[in-house]
Amino acid sequence: MKKHLLFLLAIALVLFLAACTTGENAGEEQEEPDSAETESGEEESEGTAEESSGEKILYLNNGIEPTSFDPSIGFDAVSWDPLNNLMEGLTRLDQDHKAGPGVAESWDISDDGLTYTFHLREDANWSNGDPVVAEDFVYAWKYMLDPDTASPAAFLGYFIKGGEAYNTGEGSADDVGVRAVDEKTLEVELEQPTGFFLDVLTNPAFFPVNHKVAQENPEWHAEADTFVANGPFMLESWEHNVEMVFAKNPEYWDADAVKLDKVHFAMVNDTNTQYQMFESGELDTASIPPEMSDQLIDGDNVFIGPYGGLEFYRFNITKEPFHNKKIRQAFSYAIDRQEIAEYVVKNGVEPAFGYVSPGFITPSGEDFRDVNGDLVAFDPEKAKQLLEEGMAEEGYDELPPITLSYNTSDLNKAVAEALQDMFIQHLDVEVSLENQEWAVFAEAQQNLELQFSRSSFINDYNDPVNFLESFITDSYMNRTGFSSEEYDALIEKGRSETDEEARYEALFEAEKLLAEEMIATPIRYYNTVVLEAEGVTGILRHPVGYFDLKYADKQ
Amino acid sequence: MFRYILKRLLIALITLWIIVTITFVLMVSVPGSPFNSEQTSNEAIQANLEAHYNLDKPYHIQYLLYLKSIATLDLGPSIKQPSQTVNDLLGRGFPISFELGMVTIIVAVISGILLGILSALRHNGIIDYLAMGFAVLGISIPNFILATFLIQQLAVNLKIFPVATWSSPMHMVLPVIALATGPMAIIARLTRSSMLEVLTQDYIKMARAKGLSPWKITIKHALRNALMPVVTIMGTLLAGILTGTFVIEQIFAIPGMGKYFVESVNQRDYPVIMGTTVFYSAFLIFMLLLVDIAYGILDPRIKLHKKEGGEG
Repeated sequence: MKKHLLFLLAIALVLFLAACTTGENAGEEQEEPDSAETESGEEESEGTAEESSGEKILYLNNGIEPTSFDPSIGFDAVSWDPLNNLMEGLTRLDQDHKAGPGVAESWDISDDGLTYTFHLREDANWSNGDPVVAEDFVYAWKYMLDPDTASPAAFLGYFIKGGEAYNTGEGSADDVGVRAVDEKTLEVELEQPTGFFLDVLTNPAFFPVNHKVAQENPEWHAEADTFVANGPFMLESWEHNVEMVFAKNPEYWDADAVKLDKVHFAMVNDTNTQYQMFESGELDTASIPPEMSDQLIDGDNVFIGPYGGLEFYRFNITKEPFHNKKIRQAFSYAIDRQEIAEYVVKNGVEPAFGYVSPGFITPSGEDFRDVNGDLVAFDPEKAKQLLEEGMAEEGYDELPPITLSYNTSDLNKAVAEALQDMFIQHLDVEVSLENQEWAVFAEAQQNLELQFSRSSFINDYNDPVNFLESFITDSYMNRTGFSSEEYDALIEKGRSETDEEARYEALFEAEKLLAEEMIATPIRYYNTVVLEAEGVTGILRHPVGYFDLKYADKQ
Repeated sequence: MFRYILKRLLIALITLWIIVTITFVLMVSVPGSPFNSEQTSNEAIQANLEAHYNLDKPYHIQYLLYLKSIATLDLGPSIKQPSQTVNDLLGRGFPISFELGMVTIIVAVISGILLGILSALRHNGIIDYLAMGFAVLGISIPNFILATFLIQQLAVNLKIFPVATWSSPMHMVLPVIALATGPMAIIARLTRSSMLEVLTQDYIKMARAKGLSPWKITIKHALRNALMPVVTIMGTLLAGILTGTFVIEQIFAIPGMGKYFVESVNQRDYPVIMGTTVFYSAFLIFMLLLVDIAYGILDPRIKLHKKEGGEG
């Protein structure tokens, strides 16, 4: 017995020694910048715990590190959602999701709809105290359109006269139709009348850039200590890949309306983890993990709102058998969208019976979707009949093999399998499924190599033309082989008609034509589903646009 | 010894060059580009982006540019996080992965060896069965399941530890447990079987016969030889764990470098793919060199300079 005891003691000693030596090594490694980070992190969390007695701090999750806080570069929600709270453009989406005054207090629009003159607020300032001047917009917009900047959002600037020419390398910066009349007056000339230009301007791509700061340090947006904000919040700290802290910006012209003192953005990419953090009180909002949707979706603390976007499937009309309109229509009629929305996608999404998602208001104040009605339907009888007619037209005894493609994801797979099922059941057609990794899939779809493939669309600005113009001839977004002069003409009118009623009329026609030709078949609209902790109020989530914490509050 | 190391370093450089070349060929032969996306775009914007990142240049120029950037240790900006350079990403991520990995390795090695010795000494006893049962569980339960379970029980229900993120030593406990269990189990089983083998050897009997104390026999004579297989797996284990693990870092929201290995490929972020590959390869080669040197120290019979011819 005794010898065993001795032995155990010896082991313990050896392990202790080993732990000491290796422990020292680990300690040495930690002395690199890393340990500093950890320590400061600790101090910070202690600090906030003390302060939290009097301060209102909202804890949010951004998922991942923002791509970039350069307004021209970070063309995605993870960048533009936070950025929308750090900066402000000429206009800002208000509580009714309409473009209202932002940095611009007022504006004049010329009778031909081509020239906009913006009057900037006298009290609009940058967080470093500089006034926000017209030159800041001129600088930012020309920077966005500069081909060397390689901004993925530059197409938004094509509404401006000379914007497209400059971006494609055919024009010059001097010919871009934006100029500072004086410090607080900005004049913008458009390529053609654009009824929704004020909406477009709410987009973060049009945020100003403090030109004095940016000329001195082109990387001003990369770190918290060089970042200058002109929005409701400013960037207090930014530990890359870990956390961002926003603090209320005292220089903001409407600072009195801002109720929160601080906003923490964690970067937690795992849906289960962020939900568990929400449960344990470490986050104030969270998304619902897909497998918990049934349990949580009906809760009182769930915000469900529309999100301007559509999931749809593209027909490739350059490939058999989908060069035939009736066969395309047959497939569309065989899809039970209600069932897909309710039992496959779940999470409170709405089935799509048209292309343009609900939430776009016509000049007469109605919803675009309601006015143009349902354009697709589930009708197995009609589907079968159309398929027969189509096959007769083409002289098919049997349909050529059909492959339905989607990019790899659990949800896409579930939807694809449901579709496969419906085609067997209602058309007696067996389609094979094929999934591909995103980049491979996207390239194949772009090159028209896929027969029938999944797609999604998220609106960039608040107008139905945004989606519909994807399908004009030779558009980079077309990806179907569709080309119709009639459609192109309708979209042209839908872009530039100065009479809003007539412009919407053209858009209604265009959407109907798209459904009649059945170039793509809608599946469901996107929505925003967020769990909110008790006491959290006033977070503005626009159907199109980026979320706004200006009026957010936490009790 | 010095000549041996020098020679190994030279071979390492050539190996790295081959790895870079193969990576480049694979990278450009996989379809898809970093700029494929569902977002609105057009040809001009795509062309501007390609020009910005030199992707419009012929392949041999791109290859030379990569070689140059690797030689100068400056891989330029990431395509997917253009405000950050690859050096920034790896420079920030690696220390964190390294810290987590180091603690994990220490925990795994200490507890693994301890379990292994205990079961070997108590061969076919209760402790042996318990320890080995534990080890089998440790090997067979994937760490992401263990991680989710730990979070739910210890963080959400009992509120002992924070759920995730990376800011204090308390945040480290759960990921370390989740990450260490697998390697610990492997080490325990290796230690046990080689201890069992060593303990029956003549020199151990000899040592007993000489009347040496049991702990001296176990530690000085048996364990030293029994550790050889453990040292063998340490090279790859260290390189794997110290450079971060995608799943655990994702679940615990740890800002390490593990995610770049996976995401850079999915996103076709070419500079980051290059950076992670070169970094990981260099690190692995270095670890294997350390392991070979460790052999020589643990077992004087292994003469490094004699192995030269055989190793190639």
